[in-house]
This record gives sequence, structure tokens and C-alpha cells, in this order.
Amino acid sequence: MKPDSKLAVTMGGKEFIFTAEYLPVAGTEVTIDPKLFGSNVIAVNVADNHHGVSMSSLAASLALSRGGIEPVFQIITRDRNRIALQSDLLGAAYLGMKNVLCLSGFHQTLIGCSESANVFDIDSVQLIDIVKKMNNGQLLDGTKIQGNFAMLIGAAANPNLKPLELNILRLSKKIAAGADFIQTQPVFDVDDFKVWLEAVRNAGLTDKTAILAGVMPLKGAAQAKGLADTYTDYIIPEAIINRLDTAGGIEAQEKEGVKITAEIINKLRDLPGLKGVHILSGGNESTVSELSGLSQ
Amino acid sequence: MIVAERKTIPELVEILRPHKKILVLGCGTCVTVCLSGGEREVSIISSALRIASRVQDLNFEIDELTIERQCDNIFIEQAAEPIRKADAVLSTACGAGVQAIAERFPEKPVYAGLNTTFLGILEERGVWTEKCAACGACILHKYGGICPITRCAKRMLNGPCGGSREDRCEVRADRPCAWQLIYKRLKDINQLERLKEMEPAKNWNPSLSGGPRMLIREDHRV
Repeated sequence: MKPDSKLAVTMGGKEFIFTAEYLPVAGTEVTIDPKLFGSNVIAVNVADNHHGVSMSSLAASLALSRGGIEPVFQIITRDRNRIALQSDLLGAAYLGMKNVLCLSGFHQTLIGCSESANVFDIDSVQLIDIVKKMNNGQLLDGTKIQGNFAMLIGAAANPNLKPLELNILRLSKKIAAGADFIQTQPVFDVDDFKVWLEAVRNAGLTDKTAILAGVMPLKGAAQAKGLADTYTDYIIPEAIINRLDTAGGIEAQEKEGVKITAEIINKLRDLPGLKGVHILSGGNESTVSELSGLSQ
Repeated sequence: MIVAERKTIPELVEILRPHKKILVLGCGTCVTVCLSGGEREVSIISSALRIASRVQDLNFEIDELTIERQCDNIFIEQAAEPIRKADAVLSTACGAGVQAIAERFPEKPVYAGLNTTFLGILEERGVWTEKCAACGACILHKYGGICPITRCAKRMLNGPCGGSREDRCEVRADRPCAWQLIYKRLKDINQLERLKEMEPAKNWNPSLSGGPRMLIREDHRV
């Protein structure tokens, strides 16, 4: 079946798309105010145990959905095997989810769960392939799915991954497997991102999938340094860290972070082949409505 | 080879505390090569246990023996008498060797003196690295001879994860990203096309996921 989510429909048009992110907390409530995201955000990703154990992305996706926000149900291959993944996907369809982002997830040692075993029964490309099969009415083993199943399939790409040839090979594979849209790791250096996007365009991939550039409103220099030290996929230029550092106190740094992000969004808007922006707002949701409105 | 490392002496003392006559039983194969459980290490462990016994008043009586292979009946037989005389055996073989001894001497407590760590190679003096996860269905031919099951922290079969860097893995700064190595190797041998093919979900049944494994060679059975 063809997915008919608001995100899917919007991707078919010419509108510059904004998506945002919600990180569930280690708790039993979803207290986020849906209004925080503003009216320009088409859908909100719900992370799957992103920085440690937190409420399941499926339950939190349902909570957002009930609050009038269209969720992008994130699902990672680190913690669940193909049995659990397909089972949760069927459950997600039942609960009304129409978008899924297929990821491998940070290694558990990076999220404070280093004593845990991981699963990695399948990888993210194989997960995309499975969801595509499910969209065609079948589970991986060929079992026919009873009822309707239709998910818009998303995947991630890291523009910073070098060498570029390997990066594009990898992205091509995700798109060939069935990724309808791609959300990237945060862009902090637009010139570097342009080089990547041009390679993606030259490989003919922007015609086959919708690319949404990730942007991240940093809260301050300390957060920027922490992210860059912990995760290899965040490449944050020294100039940005210095700008945050010299902005002043906590509040001033946070404001500067939003300002930097707004500048990045404005530079990204007109890049050929870019379909929109994904605001990696996890834990900083209050900035979304400003960022998605600023650049209109 | 199988690579292992010795448990700490305080750990071994705790394990052996209830016993008096202890046989420290070494193995002459993999664990000798990786300097963890051969004749030399048996001697070192025994000396350390004797010292600990004296200091802590434990009355250990330590006997030492190293046989060629603890995973082979022919060689285990050579240790039968010393094992019978001992109250307990501290085996410095890999986990397979420890269990082989325990199974053949059901009345005797047999303890592991080592932590069996992986199947690997000696990279440079004093440095061993893991190379094979014994997944039971080798795919090395598809990846330029570099195993993504063993050497990629996420067992990715279709390319690197987003955290890959040219100089390191997402997980540890001192480990290379297997996918960077695979990419370079396939490029060097003109097989980069292989990376374009989608590798389907792996069948883990031949691995430990299918339960304890057994190999039967009918052509070798009498």
C-alpha cells in the first residue's frame, strides 16, 4: 500500500518541509506541549532510546499523535531482533503510525548502557528492506500481513562521513532498498554540506528520495563540546563553539545557538535538491516554532 | 587461535579458597601461544597462589602440570592421575578445555583460571586482536577478507554506520572502522561493485543463536 501520511503528501509537493524531534524521557508521561512545534512542522520524529532507557518510541509516538502531531516513529536495530521489529511495526500501523525512520542506533556503550548486550540481528538497510516488503503486504519470511500496512520509509545519512565515495555508496543502497526520505546528521558547516549534496544530486539520488538536512540548535558551548567528544558523527566547527562560548551566560548562549541555526537554515533553503530541514530539537523543543517560522 | 587472559590472582584465590590440594593444569596449544595458560603461566600462577596461601594462611598445596591439549582425550588421559589426587583443578585452558576436563572427571571440581576472550591473531608483540566470531556461515569472500560481523561493533552488513570515521570506529577511538577497511580493500582489489549489492538479513541459525553447535562428519565416523 502507498503511505498517505501528511509527510508523504507534503513531500509530493513543492513546499520546503520542516520536521522536528522529540526525545522521550525516562518516565511514564509525555508532557510535551504540541503547540511548541508550531504550525510549520509537518511531522515530529520520536527517538528510540536515543540517550539511554526512555519511554518506548511507539508509546510516545502515540502520545504525540493524540496531541495532534504526526509522528515519525523511529526504530533502531540495536535493541530488537527481526521478530520484535516486525511485531512493533505491525503494532505501529494498528496505532495509526504512518511514518517510520529506520536506524541502527548509537552503540549502547555511547548511551550509558555499556553492560547491556546488543542485538543487531539486522542492519538499517535490511530494516528498510523489511518495511518495504511489509508495505507490499508481506513479512520478511513471506507471511501475508492481514490488514493494511503502509509506512513512509525514512533513513538517516551523515554528510560528514568520509570518503565521499563510500558515503554515496551507502546512501544509494538505502534509497535502493526503499527509503522515501533521508534525514541527515546535523549540519554545522554549510559549505561542507553543499559538497555532499552535490554528490548526492550527481548520483541522481535527489530525484528518488526527499533529503531533509538536519540542523541542531545547540544550547551552549558545553553541550557542543560534549556532543563532539562523545559522538563521532557530530562535526562541530571550532568557530561555532567559540561563538557560543563568547555569547555570554547560559541564556545568551542558548539564544546564540538558535541564531546560528536560523542562519544555517537560511543558507540551506535554496540549495538545489534539498527538500527541507529536520530540526534536531530533542530536549530543546521550545526553539522549533521560532526556527521553522523564522525562515519563512 | 583462541585468545584468553588470566583471571586476577585475588579472583583465583577466592575461587580456590575452599580447597587444599589444587592442580593447576595448563594447556600447550592456543593459550600457550597467547601467553595466558601454558607451562610458563602455570608456573607463575602456582607461585602466586603459594604466596597468597602463605600470606592468608590458606594451606594450599599446589601441583603443576601442563598437557598438550585439554580438548583432546588422548592428552587428558595423561593428566588423569594428578587430577584424581587433587581436591580441585584450576584449568588454564580455554573454556572448551575447562569443560572437557570437567566432563571427564565428574566427581572433581574444575575451575576456569582464564577468561576466554576471542578468536584472533597476534597483531604485534603483546597485542592480540579479534578476527572471527565463528558465526558458522562465513561471508569473508564478500567483504575483501575483512569480517563485518566480528570487526564492526554493530555487525553492519551493508556499509558503515553514521558514526564511522576514516581513522576510527564510533565506539572506540583506538579501533579502526571495519567498513573503512572493507571499502579500501575492495577498492584495492577492484571489487567495489560488491558494496552496491544489498546483503539480505543474515541467517543466524548456524551461529550460537541456533543453540549449542555440533559438527558431525559422517565420513570420519567409524
